[in-house]
Amino acid sequence: MGCSSSLPDRTSRQLPGINSENAGATDSKNLKVKLVLLGDSGVGKSCIVLRFVRGQFDPTSKVTVGASFLSQTIALQDSTTVKFEIWDTAGQERYAALAPLYYRGAAVAVVVYDITSPESFNKAQYWVKELQKHGSPDIVMALVGNKADLQENRQVPVQDAIEYAEKNGMFFIETSAKTADNINQLFEEIAKRLPREPTS
Amino acid sequence: MASDSNSSPSITDCTDQNPNPNEVTDHLTTLAITESENAIVDEVDSNQEDSVDIANGSLDVNYDQNDDTQVEEELPTGSVLVSAEVEVVEDVRERNSSGGVDNGIDNSEHEIDVRLSPSSSGYAGERGTSSATSNSGIEEVEEDGNVITLQDSSIDAVADSASWVPGKRHVDEDDASVSWRKRKKHFFVLSHSGKPIYSRYGDEHKLAGFSATLQAIISFVENGGDNVKFVRAGKHQVVFLVKGPIYLVCISCTEEPQEALKAQLELIYGQMLLILTKSVNRCFEKNPKFDMTPLLGGTDSVFSSLIHAFSWNPATFLHAYTCLPLAYPTRQAAGAVLQDVAESGVLFAILMCKHKVISLVGAQKASLHPDDMLLLANFVLSSESFRTSESFSPICLPRYNPMAFLYSYVHYLDVDTYLMLLTTSSDAFYHLKDCRIRIETVLVKSNVLSEVQRSMLDGGLHVEDLPIDPSLRSLSLSPHLGQERLTTDSLERFIEVDHGIGGPAGLWHFIYRSIYLDQYVSSEFSSPINSSRQQKRLYRAYQKVYASMHDGGTGPHKTQFRRDENYVILCWITQDFELYAAFDPLADKALAIKTCNRVCQWVRDLENEIFLLGSSPFSW
Ligand SMILES: Nc1nc2c(ncn2[C@@H]2O[C@H](COP(=O)(O)OP(=O)(O)OP(=O)(O)O)[C@@H](O)[C@H]2O)c(=O)[nH]1
Ligand SMILES: [Mg+2]
Repeated sequence: MGCSSSLPDRTSRQLPGINSENAGATDSKNLKVKLVLLGDSGVGKSCIVLRFVRGQFDPTSKVTVGASFLSQTIALQDSTTVKFEIWDTAGQERYAALAPLYYRGAAVAVVVYDITSPESFNKAQYWVKELQKHGSPDIVMALVGNKADLQENRQVPVQDAIEYAEKNGMFFIETSAKTADNINQLFEEIAKRLPREPTS
Repeated sequence: MASDSNSSPSITDCTDQNPNPNEVTDHLTTLAITESENAIVDEVDSNQEDSVDIANGSLDVNYDQNDDTQVEEELPTGSVLVSAEVEVVEDVRERNSSGGVDNGIDNSEHEIDVRLSPSSSGYAGERGTSSATSNSGIEEVEEDGNVITLQDSSIDAVADSASWVPGKRHVDEDDASVSWRKRKKHFFVLSHSGKPIYSRYGDEHKLAGFSATLQAIISFVENGGDNVKFVRAGKHQVVFLVKGPIYLVCISCTEEPQEALKAQLELIYGQMLLILTKSVNRCFEKNPKFDMTPLLGGTDSVFSSLIHAFSWNPATFLHAYTCLPLAYPTRQAAGAVLQDVAESGVLFAILMCKHKVISLVGAQKASLHPDDMLLLANFVLSSESFRTSESFSPICLPRYNPMAFLYSYVHYLDVDTYLMLLTTSSDAFYHLKDCRIRIETVLVKSNVLSEVQRSMLDGGLHVEDLPIDPSLRSLSLSPHLGQERLTTDSLERFIEVDHGIGGPAGLWHFIYRSIYLDQYVSSEFSSPINSSRQQKRLYRAYQKVYASMHDGGTGPHKTQFRRDENYVILCWITQDFELYAAFDPLADKALAIKTCNRVCQWVRDLENEIFLLGSSPFSW
């Protein structure tokens, strides 16, 4: 990747990662999980998060610097709640070396690509490999094809993504931050897949 | 003043403007005024034109009698004739614009914006940034489908720094485009192997040929044992700055002093370090042909807003920062809570409102250079994503340590007010978040945030409020800040019947820089310096005086009085402060000097409110 040594990667392999004191379950009914979004710049990570957290879509959304932190709590049908602490990372190349800081200790990783951009699909695969190597072993991974509203410009066939997700034990969904299509479903499905502590 | 000579060789052939036979050259009167202690002696003859005091040495009378005397004769005096005065000034300006350098064919800085259709990066525009989005512009779709945003052509009336939209302009251009060649001020960054890194206008990748040419010139002269720093080609100045493997170049026909352009290149380099640190040099050691552009992805708006600041933000040439005016206890309250968190392992805690500092605190021994503050504020203000939510990002403060990243927690407390907490620890996010919550609670409870908003509405110092007589000073203390608004205003107006537009004695604007504090305060712009174009012109005039006053070669300039067709600029430098003041071009010199003394007294009287005092020592 270009020249990642210009970035703080010398230390990043040992980056402790950002973790609140007691990440994970607060109790069996109320979960708190750290979630990280990864993917190429411009695929719509910030738009997905803002749609989920604030119900908004800003077409002029601006390139993320470093990483933004947001949180959102959802209630599931079994009357449990899940509080997502979301790290929306910057997809710009210069921040790539910094990613471990944000994904270390994460219970969930959402890897996003843009269905109109094959390069972004390649980049997604790069992130999946990186997470398999350096992420938590029991991390829940989701593969998200965003901008599903741009069907006519599709460049990444659904089938390719499905196959790749299956091979890597990932949950797959196509979303549109613009139309809100599948955004809540994405987070609900993730919540369902979280490992639960056996109720005592 | 280097004068244009059209016979000098042209290295860029972008001089297709008129040679301007009757170009208005600067006719300045540079007078040295005797100076004693902290007051400008005003026994200087009030006949400004002929009497010159050479006590301070250097004397440069270059006065073109024609224009100014004429203006003076045409001009009736007295307060009733305010509008006539303004008109005459406008006249002079128009004459100037027919031939003056500052009004070339192309006013590129407020011109047509071309937005590209979304690129493959997913963002509209270049390199993953959304380019300028038009808030106020008129959109027209051309036949080829490009969207052209025409900014309001009456830009003079509306534009100020607030309505300016950051982002790369004219991405469609390259060095073959006529429009590109006509731009008045280009900035380029390229690598020593000639690879483009950044260009103010046009797509870097399309400028590869041009970059190679620049690179060739630089290496040619470098090999000759000489460092090219400056070339003049007709109307154009070319200034080079070599920083290891990175070359920075400015090509300009704005007539700004060479030192000013060089300082601007230094800031552009600093901004690059803030994003990448100096360790980017290692990439060039490994691979001389390394392409740096991907590493700067999405940062066009950071650089374009810095370049924009060169024409409106005095911090870019004063190397000082400015504070939001606040009552002393209010600023103290903010400082106290920042001090608290600084003691818990935060390196710098900075609370700002737009470009102005509310308070700032550094951990023991850590000091923040004003240039770093400028670059940091520019970075945060021009990166829209900081406004959406709290964030945690690596940044480098080039004057603090150009090799290392710090981690910055940034959070907006309201639309304009933001808190920056810097630390060396990459896992401090939750701690900094807690600090922010604590700070925010205190600021809300102690009404600091509402005071900040009030101060934003009131604005800073207004020349109209300059106290008229030292004996009345106690009455008019802090006209905007305190409660004592009283009736000094009306009293003043009654006494000083002839001050016309602006402040007394034709004072239009001033900047006061405190040398010990590394802070400056500048008056709000008011009539007749209303438009962004006039403001820019005034800054350029200040910049010119600044450069000549800080030019080591020419002995100790302590005061300067320059009169041209646009203003009288008075500059006064002592051990403690620098004062730059602009007056009506017809202002009386003795009165102007008197007024400057009053400005200094006024600023000293208000220092508790307009400056950040007595926190940790900022010495470097
Ligand atoms: N049509 C369409 N456009 C979208 C969608 N989601 C995002 N976009 C557009 O894609 C652009 C980039 O979106 P962001 O959310 O900022 O991208 P990002 O992944 O956060 O990019 P970085 O912060 O640079 O990593 C925005 O300008 C959006 O307008 C979508 O679902 N449909
Ligand atoms: Mg983003």
